[in-house]
Amino acid sequence: MIHYDCKYYLNTDVFKGICKRDKSNINADDEACNNFEKAQKCKHCSNFLLYGNDWGTCMSKYEAYPEMNAVTCNDFKQ
Amino acid sequence: MALNYWLYNNLIFSIMTENQDCVQCSTDIYNYYGTKPEGEIQTREAKKAPTQRVEKARQMYFETKSSASVEFPYWYTRRWEEVEGEVPIIRRAEALKAGFGHLTPAILPGELLAMRKANYLRGSYPMPWLSEAFFLAKEDELYKEAQKSGKVSADEVTTMGQGGGNVTKSVGNVISIAGKFGLRKEEMPILIKTAKKWFNKSVDDVGHKYEQLVPDYNTKEEIMRAVICMFDSGYTLPQGREVMNYYYPLQFGIEGIKNICKEKQDQTAGYPDMDRLYFYKAVYIMLEGLQTWIMNYAKEARFMASLEDNQTQKEEYLDIAERLEWLTKNKPRTFHDSLQLVWIFHVAVLNEDAISGLSPGRLGQVLYPFWKQDMDQGILTKECTIELLECMRMKFTELDCFASMGVVGGVLSGNTFNNLCIGGLDKDGDSAANELEMLILESAMSCDTPQPTLSLLYDEKLPEEFLLKGIECTKIGTGYPAWINNRVAMEFLLNNFKKEGMQLEEARAWAIGGCLETSPGSWMPLELNEETYFIPGGSAPATSVGVHFISLPKVLEAVLFDGLDKRTGRRVYPAHGSKLESYEEIWTVFKKYFSITVEVLTLANNIQHDIWGKISPSIINSMLKPDCLEVGKDISHKGCRYNRTFNVEICGGVNLVNSLASIKKNVIDEKKLSLQELKAAIESNFGYLSALETGSYSLIEQVKTKNYMDWLKIHKLCLDAPKYGNDDKYVDNIFKEWQIWFSKMCENYRSLYDKPMYSCQISVSTHAPMGAVTLATPDGRLCGTTFADGSVSAYPGSDKNGPYALFNSATCYNHALSQNSQLNMKIHPSVVKGREGSRKFLEMIKAYLRKGAFHIQFNIVDSRMLKDAQKNPEKYRGLMVRVAGFTQYWVELGKQIQDEVIARTEYEQIG
Repeated sequence: MIHYDCKYYLNTDVFKGICKRDKSNINADDEACNNFEKAQKCKHCSNFLLYGNDWGTCMSKYEAYPEMNAVTCNDFKQ
Repeated sequence: MALNYWLYNNLIFSIMTENQDCVQCSTDIYNYYGTKPEGEIQTREAKKAPTQRVEKARQMYFETKSSASVEFPYWYTRRWEEVEGEVPIIRRAEALKAGFGHLTPAILPGELLAMRKANYLRGSYPMPWLSEAFFLAKEDELYKEAQKSGKVSADEVTTMGQGGGNVTKSVGNVISIAGKFGLRKEEMPILIKTAKKWFNKSVDDVGHKYEQLVPDYNTKEEIMRAVICMFDSGYTLPQGREVMNYYYPLQFGIEGIKNICKEKQDQTAGYPDMDRLYFYKAVYIMLEGLQTWIMNYAKEARFMASLEDNQTQKEEYLDIAERLEWLTKNKPRTFHDSLQLVWIFHVAVLNEDAISGLSPGRLGQVLYPFWKQDMDQGILTKECTIELLECMRMKFTELDCFASMGVVGGVLSGNTFNNLCIGGLDKDGDSAANELEMLILESAMSCDTPQPTLSLLYDEKLPEEFLLKGIECTKIGTGYPAWINNRVAMEFLLNNFKKEGMQLEEARAWAIGGCLETSPGSWMPLELNEETYFIPGGSAPATSVGVHFISLPKVLEAVLFDGLDKRTGRRVYPAHGSKLESYEEIWTVFKKYFSITVEVLTLANNIQHDIWGKISPSIINSMLKPDCLEVGKDISHKGCRYNRTFNVEICGGVNLVNSLASIKKNVIDEKKLSLQELKAAIESNFGYLSALETGSYSLIEQVKTKNYMDWLKIHKLCLDAPKYGNDDKYVDNIFKEWQIWFSKMCENYRSLYDKPMYSCQISVSTHAPMGAVTLATPDGRLCGTTFADGSVSAYPGSDKNGPYALFNSATCYNHALSQNSQLNMKIHPSVVKGREGSRKFLEMIKAYLRKGAFHIQFNIVDSRMLKDAQKNPEKYRGLMVRVAGFTQYWVELGKQIQDEVIARTEYEQIG
């Protein structure tokens, strides 16, 4: 579990960001803390089916990728 | 053998011995006019500081890297494919709606203005529907980088500080794209996959297919290969270099505009000219996407508030949420609302296309009614205004443009050219300067960032207090405001737009689009509190599309070498076969080659822009620009009020003129050398290594070869020939003849919108890459070194007779013939120190503009500081310099431009 996958991680750039909870500066790829909660990403969505490492399908009809943010997606299902 | 050789002012080459292969030639690496400064490096006058909130944001910006993401192009492309078969403009609107609707919101603590281009602070994204070629060409390389895995520590990231925010190399889980943008490695596969979907469908690909139908297309290819032209127009930066118009959102709000669209749909459905119906429908769909985007931010603000313990910060998040929820539908209520709404639409347009030079225009006059209302009601103070304006500066500064790499690096130097204008005249011809603009200047001093840059539209009617405030800002070394002649711009506009109905009153509504492009505007009636305010805004599409940067010294090189590009040996132009025995012959062949260039580039770029309008038409910007919404036509269907906006841009004009003067003097008039001898010297680079070999790009600090003595005499003749910038009629008359011919010849070519073209004279950063591919020139400039910057700046070190001589040279022709002229000056801080210095400085600017000049801008800096900054960039993260129409952080400039700025003549006296 890394910050990059956490619900409370706020990107500032591709390397780093801020914790939305305590406002600390953190690196995207560092280990997350105990407050970790899964971010809303395609890979955490029941509509997403992974095949291979980089690809998957969304609702069985669209190509999608696992790391994509889905916080704005109306079809996201935990 | 010993040799002391005088070059320019204080540049003296070192002693040379014949048995040395190479000798570094520098004893003093600066060019000065006046008494050389001694002692410690002189700093600029004391700067002001922004509020604590903004300073924190600025420090965060300094530590932030340019970051690209894929979510917008992913959703855009997904929806585009899903609605295949739809009417093209509706398909485009649906794709934009999907892109906006899925952007991940990111609100940083302390922000008073929310929303950004992408989900990073310096976020941007590729637009493969414009061009996907780069990603396909680099596919293997980028995939390899993506397969590497690793965690990166903060320390490693910090070592990437050189180059400012540029991600110069791939590290850990981040891939560097072209040494500028970072992309998370897990996003690279989908980016490549998305790019592939646009193969043979992008504006670039489809445009290329059809531009090949232009007769003599092969010449266009050779011109591009020789870098006689810097870049194509239609798929690189199809919009920009124009002035925003915020009237409709401010007057009607988003829901109000949607209601206009509904009414217009009813009026057009089933009637002839059905494209209007589709346009209104497209605007409506796109606005729905913007509403979702804004609401996603509002939701995020409430989420951030829910996590917040600090009561003040919590209230600020809730305030953001409430404001965004309101603006999703309604017109703004306050100054803060109006500033937020302006920012939303500014970013919305930037997300529509790859755009540089999207100028907010005369924003202080646009927002004045809201500001005055709030001040009158006592709900806003000047201090709060300044803080909001500082926040706005940070938002503009974070903008990055993801365009083709040659454009971002070679032209823009990473800048995005959001030019905010102050001053000028109002609708009735009185001074338009106002109190809010004074605060804009104040905030630009306290929060000195590159964006938005400022341009002061100088008019004799402007109050002295306002002008002195502008001087105060220029003096601290921000590089802004640039000083622009209001009357010259109006003359240009009336000359070029009168056939489209422009009258004097409307000519006053102009502003600068991009770095220095005079752009037509209009007055629109904003109603607030039962009063009507006529606010200015842009009323034309991109004013700098068409032919992007023709390298004049490179065309002359082709003239001297019978149509060949000597660097590659390829034939560019038909052999002229002329012996070039007279000046007239040379001038005639030059005009012929230049005309061939303009013609073929105009035709090819017209096709590219036509394809852009078909595949990727502007919807958001079209909606904003009068009179698109009124007549139901987008920009590419000439919906704007003024459409004569295609131009021909050039670069290296002063080197061309100096070279022609050298040939005329040495070869033709005085016959001190033959043309063959001159050509041989040029091919031998006057006995020096090329700049590409030395890694130093200005004339100073070059390295001689052992053959140096063979070419010394000729080189001295070339350097001693008359130089532009010294009030010398011999060369100034050549300059004048060129200017008159150039501005006239542009009118022979028709733009896509069937209007004559006009001339544009800005170098931006092109004088570096274009100089890099050009042999030595007859004026003594060496191979690979940069050209003179701007259009009327003297070649570094060649202006020896002081500023007023330079001004006389620069104004030897009518500047209103062209869309612009550009003069950069570097002045030592001690020269303009104190109140007396301010007065002297202002009088000098006035003197220049009163001669009919269009533009002047300054670097107030000690050149030694720049050299130190080049050696120790980590000490100068916040140092800014003026390049050519824009201010940029020193550390984010390429070495070519850094060298050129260091080499510029530094004025130690201006009296």
